[in-house]
Amino acid sequence: MNAHTKVHGAHGDFAVEAKGLVKRFKSGRGFVEVLKGVDFDARHGDLTMVMGPSGSGKSTLIAALSGLLRPEKGQVDALDVDNLWKLSPGRIDKFRLDHCGFIFQGFNLFPALTALQQVETVLKYQGLSKDRARKRATLALEEVGLGPRLHQKPSSLSGGEKQRVAIARALAKDPKILFADEPTSALDGENGQVVIRLLRRAASDHGAAVICVTHDPRLEAWADRVIHIEDGVIVSDERRVPDPNAVLASHH
Amino acid sequence: MSLALATLLYEWRRYMAAVMALALSGLLVLAMTGVFIGIGKGFTAQIERSSADIIIMQPGAKTLFGGPSGVPRRFIPQVYNHPAVDEVQPFDMAGGTFQSVRDVDPTMSQAERAKMGAPKQNFVMTQIIDTNEGAVTIPTDYSEELVDALRQPYTVAIDETTLPKLGVKLGDKALYNGQTVTVAAVLSGYPSMMQPAIVMSRDTLRRVGQADTGPRVGPLMVKLADGSQPEIVSAQINAMGKGQWKAWTRDELAQANANAMFEEGILVIIIGGCVVLGVIIGVAITWQTLRGAIMANIKEFASLRALGVSMGSLRRIVLELSFWVGCVGVVAAITLTWLIGLLASANAVIIALPPILLIIVGGGLIAIAMLSGLLSLGILRKSQPADLLR
Repeated sequence: MNAHTKVHGAHGDFAVEAKGLVKRFKSGRGFVEVLKGVDFDARHGDLTMVMGPSGSGKSTLIAALSGLLRPEKGQVDALDVDNLWKLSPGRIDKFRLDHCGFIFQGFNLFPALTALQQVETVLKYQGLSKDRARKRATLALEEVGLGPRLHQKPSSLSGGEKQRVAIARALAKDPKILFADEPTSALDGENGQVVIRLLRRAASDHGAAVICVTHDPRLEAWADRVIHIEDGVIVSDERRVPDPNAVLASHH
Repeated sequence: MSLALATLLYEWRRYMAAVMALALSGLLVLAMTGVFIGIGKGFTAQIERSSADIIIMQPGAKTLFGGPSGVPRRFIPQVYNHPAVDEVQPFDMAGGTFQSVRDVDPTMSQAERAKMGAPKQNFVMTQIIDTNEGAVTIPTDYSEELVDALRQPYTVAIDETTLPKLGVKLGDKALYNGQTVTVAAVLSGYPSMMQPAIVMSRDTLRRVGQADTGPRVGPLMVKLADGSQPEIVSAQINAMGKGQWKAWTRDELAQANANAMFEEGILVIIIGGCVVLGVIIGVAITWQTLRGAIMANIKEFASLRALGVSMGSLRRIVLELSFWVGCVGVVAAITLTWLIGLLASANAVIIALPPILLIIVGGGLIAIAMLSGLLSLGILRKSQPADLLR
């Protein structure tokens, strides 16, 4: 059992803890070090914002934390798992299936499936029965305000609605850790605000550790904690009091 | 509805190439095999379409033509001993030269006739019917007028597709083995390949001197009073014969005749070639189409991977998708072949599609689709969720 990180932690308990993460990419004849020994942690109930310019290694960081990209060095403890990267690939998949949600900049929804089916599909792989998957999926979609649009396919949903389906797909699993990569950058201000509020709620109400990568400084207002990363090194890490009623100005 | 099936239905245009490739592969094999079976059926149509419920041949016979099919004449009264038997007639066949008669004097020399453009002689196969009403040897699709026409002495009936080859038309006179006969009727649905066939009455065959009059006759065609259970009567007749003969139901014989076609080396080579071609075309196009279709959804697959859905589950989705593509391909192949069959039969070419052939080819098409699915599994490795993070 892990001493630090827990599955069912109270707000403030560690959900993810990484030490000395190093990740290199091949570039021409040499290597580029994208993560240079990063120490990182995220807590249950926190909306942790990872910010930095493009190429700073913030996406690579969450790829390493979530078991998607193996780091060259370092250790990731997540929930009840001591050193995630010691598990077999199959066990890492299972860990993500059980505990992790993902939201991407692109929505990555299957064009053939309705909103309800998008969410159900993942739940079925979690082993839920058809009925339970349908109930949970409906609840999740209602929670993101898509109750009236359950049977719409992505082609008839707006960008903001698609992202909300993607969020419902991630939240329906009731994840303990929620990774979001630039979740608002493809959206206008209004939809961006809806999305960041949903992430805020996932942390506050569901107690998930929400790790949100973004380069949009206006999202800071909702964060419990803001981490700045530059050139593969964490340059600042500050806690702050989130303002759940903050307003994201429209781009227009 | 599963993800695979929903995707196939929603993005059907994307999968159209694969479905069409499978359909055409299937069509190639089905139509070729069907045409050959159809040709084979042309040879045996006279018996297979007769009202005979049972056909009796020598014990060693394997098909209508492929063995000792004739029997001693004394079998005829013996078969009548079975109480269910209504009528027994020996089938009779002969062959001879057939030559059209135009405005040429038949006493001219061959060389002179050739100069005038008279056609050469053809060797024809001659089959018979009995012309008494309801005779067992009359194919069920013969009209009364047709039988009436053949009841006249020295008349013959010829299939519409054979007429041009023999150089005659309805009402023409011709020479059969040097004796004048009249084309009194035209058949349809009895195409003959390789060797043209004509039909005449048993009486006419006797008049031209070719009927079986000796102690041996052709296969016995047996009509039952109640033809609803030919298998049972056939078994009883076999028991009566104590091994002297073998009785076949009409269906059994038709099946054996069709199967015998596959013992023809050249046909097996042609059909085998079609199968190989069909498999290569089917696999190549289906594989590439599936690859393209998976690539088009690779980000969606990657997002499922990110959410923890295993690679094995994604592979199952692809294989399920291939299976459904195969199923649609089978339906398309059968529909296409059926349409071609309609077109062919409108032009008097028979494409026979026995259910067993449909099952074999259908199974083969699904196997091709699954194989293509297996080949395209490699592309799933590109579903790297880390690529979705930028």
